[in-house]
Amino acid sequence: MTSAPATQDLALSARGVRMEYLDRGTRERFVAIESLDLDIKQGEFVTIVGPSGCGKSTFVKLVNGLLSASQGEILVRSVAKGKSDAMVFQDSALFPWYKIIDNVSYGLVCAGVSKKQAHERAMPLIKLVGLGGFENKYPYQLSGGMQQRANLARALCVDPAILLMDEPFAALDAQTREVMQAELLRIWRGAEAEGGARKTVLFITHQIEEAVFLSDRVVVMSARPGRIMEDIRIDLPRPRDLHVKRTPEFQEYQEQIWQLIASQLKAAASQFGGSKE
Amino acid sequence: MTVAAPAMTSRGPERSRRRIKIPNERLFYAVLGFVGLLVVWEFASNFDLDPSTPGVQGLVKRILMSAPTLIWKAGVEDFSSGAIWPHITISLQEWFYGFIISCFLGISLGLSLGWFRRFRLATQPLVSALYSTPTIALFPLIVLIAGIGLESKVILVVLASIFAVIINTMVGVQSVSWKHLEIASSFGASQTQIVRSVVLPTTIPFILTGVRLAAGRSLVGVVVAEFQAANQGVGFYIALNGQTLNTARVFIGLVLLGGFGIFVGELVRLVENRFDAWRPSIHR
Repeated sequence: MTSAPATQDLALSARGVRMEYLDRGTRERFVAIESLDLDIKQGEFVTIVGPSGCGKSTFVKLVNGLLSASQGEILVRSVAKGKSDAMVFQDSALFPWYKIIDNVSYGLVCAGVSKKQAHERAMPLIKLVGLGGFENKYPYQLSGGMQQRANLARALCVDPAILLMDEPFAALDAQTREVMQAELLRIWRGAEAEGGARKTVLFITHQIEEAVFLSDRVVVMSARPGRIMEDIRIDLPRPRDLHVKRTPEFQEYQEQIWQLIASQLKAAASQFGGSKE
Repeated sequence: MTVAAPAMTSRGPERSRRRIKIPNERLFYAVLGFVGLLVVWEFASNFDLDPSTPGVQGLVKRILMSAPTLIWKAGVEDFSSGAIWPHITISLQEWFYGFIISCFLGISLGLSLGWFRRFRLATQPLVSALYSTPTIALFPLIVLIAGIGLESKVILVVLASIFAVIINTMVGVQSVSWKHLEIASSFGASQTQIVRSVVLPTTIPFILTGVRLAAGRSLVGVVVAEFQAANQGVGFYIALNGQTLNTARVFIGLVLLGGFGIFVGELVRLVENRFDAWRPSIHR
């Protein structure tokens, strides 16, 4: 219904997306996402931040097709064959009964690629994420950070038009998390060198610092029902390393986003206080 | 007053004591325990409190508890005369048919009960009722329907063992993680691929537990059926020799059952190890 902008260079276009849930226990309806519009350009790294329960995870599931929206539409640029997007989940999302190589090539096997070919195509990605030599290990033999590397390789393996990442580093300890953030940017560039076009990434986190460090744009969502409050362009030079976190520009971005989220939290808190009386 | 300095003790690995390495610890200790029991038993049965009536007033009464040497002698007799073979073959047959039917039927029923919620709801009361009914209570009915031949025994064996398979398989399917299903569908896996890559790998350890239990319960079923109505079989052999106070032969029957139980248990363990490579060794 909406007038389409220059759709050629868009990887994702969401228009008026609304998502309602029916709570099975209380039989109550609640709105997780309300009229959300979002465009993501080809090759852009966009992060959604927001207080917990703002519907950011719901949104990636809508994009992935795991859920379908109550209203509105989400257009995802399709690639020639197979699925056009892939998801990196939170912790322990590998299949524990598969070796790393079988986990990484899972998406390809699902798409009908023979096991042998899938393994051949998975190997360069396993090396790219730094797991060369671990391909025949089982997930329990790897640390949390290494498991998330494998998780990332699995998503990259299907050569997705959009890489969806739902709080992939949430369960890691602080140091591993920082290392993985820098690694993600390195892999992102590496995948570009390997596959040609730059990957589009939609990243979900509740960590502001992580969002600023990784992204071209940070989209701040309000508390439930989730709406987009601000869409902030991060003009920090790339390639970035962890030193960028010490710069005043970085701190400014962080402060700006924190103010937005804090206002939401305060509003939510006063609402609670009000309804109690 | 001076206080002696506390002695420092090494907490490192002990170097001085050399330990004898036992190649197969499991087997070694199993055999050791078994042989120990036999020796004590033999000694106790030869220890007569009243030497004028040997074997009657022993610490262990031979007429009730026999003795390892007596059992061995009776065993050699019955195996060399061939008298025991028909009993073994018929029992093996009953066990095998019953166990195999239980496995196939039980796994397929368990999978569908776990996967299809409505099917589960519709059959749950029936399954629970049959599961908690002592199988032997159904035997008169089974005999009426299927006679006293092989068929009725196989039916009893199936009833004795199938619920272990059904219920374990069903619980296995229900324990499939929602997250793993979500991952599979996020990568566009088809229904068949989901079953192969998520449902079966999660369920197989549960199925094998069910199969292991079923192997034992099938054996119980065989003996119970043969106690009730039979003129052949290891259960019949035990019952008959018990009634004629031939305790050595009762023990032969028990040894056969126990040995078979161990054999089948080890067989299932081998299969389990084959499917367990992905789990940390503590589960193995």
